[in-house]
Amino acid sequence: MELRISRDSRHKRSHTGAKRAQYRKKRKFELGRQAAGTKLGPKRIHEVRVRGGNKKFRAMRLDTGTYSWGSESISRSTRIVAVLYNASNNELVRTNTLVKGAIVQIDATPFRQWYENRYAQTLGKKKRQPTEAEAKAAEAVKLRSKRALAKCAARNSTVDPAIDEQFTTGCLYAIITSRPGQSGRCDGYVLEGKELDFYLRKIRSKK
Amino acid sequence: MSEQTERSFQKQEAVFLNAKGVSKKSTRWHKDIGLGYKTPAEAISGTYIDKKCPFTGNVSIRGRILTGTVASTKMKRTIIVRREYLHYITKYQRYEKRHKNIAAHLSPAFIGVEVGDIVTVGQCRPLSKTIRFNVIKHQKKHAKGSKKFQKF
Repeated sequence: MELRISRDSRHKRSHTGAKRAQYRKKRKFELGRQAAGTKLGPKRIHEVRVRGGNKKFRAMRLDTGTYSWGSESISRSTRIVAVLYNASNNELVRTNTLVKGAIVQIDATPFRQWYENRYAQTLGKKKRQPTEAEAKAAEAVKLRSKRALAKCAARNSTVDPAIDEQFTTGCLYAIITSRPGQSGRCDGYVLEGKELDFYLRKIRSKK
Repeated sequence: MSEQTERSFQKQEAVFLNAKGVSKKSTRWHKDIGLGYKTPAEAISGTYIDKKCPFTGNVSIRGRILTGTVASTKMKRTIIVRREYLHYITKYQRYEKRHKNIAAHLSPAFIGVEVGDIVTVGQCRPLSKTIRFNVIKHQKKHAKGSKKFQKF
């Protein structure tokens, strides 16, 4: 509060354009605080006491978050690799700042492991012949009882080709939906379908 | 895709677009705002995304319902509604004309709203610095409408 950021409307002109005279000082209940500007890095979270005695967790640095893969209805905790796009401000992309609505790249390994467990198939199309290590991995994935394999085959394992491609690079595109400066968490969901196309186009057009 | 004019992806919060194996292409959420107001066909079948629309967005209409004429449509998705009334001066036992302007959010569900049309606005939570109302009904001005002062 030393910075005296206030959230009042008394300093603004009225709807008619009239300048409002100041008739009282700033009050504590209309205070504002400095923005967190959460960066990528080893976790560092400051606790803030807010109105009513409640707490807010101001994340100053974060590196992991829980991301959901909507169409598969699962969530996994993963590492955040980089910030790729921000609709409001390019500066936030350059400085790798984590905010709600930013498009990030997340580590795909937990999702790949879950998928291979559930559907007994590998992800990521490979145009060339799979190497020996990959062939072994594909075998290991199939190593289970006949009944288990039948259950896996019965499940709908179709994956959007755009997402399949991302598994070859090992990073998925996701959007942050939590507010790191308020909750101290950087959670979100994996981009799919039209939304993914939209943001991929935006990212490519900037390069 | 023509509704994607902003730098972030426009979509309805309430709708999940990427469910597996669901063939219905256009899942759209809309609601009945209550109080007997009919939701326009454009809101149900259209493709616009507006989070401040009373029919397809996240605002509820509660409190006052007012009517007025459209004074200006120059803003993006909002209009100025002019409400006229008579104020009584006791000394002279006569009335004087007064008016108040209200800024109201205009959903893309209402097409062809022009200056002079009659509009019903309902109170909602503050949507911006001056907007606390949302257009819920629109009625075109009659062709033979006079330029004189009209009271409803």
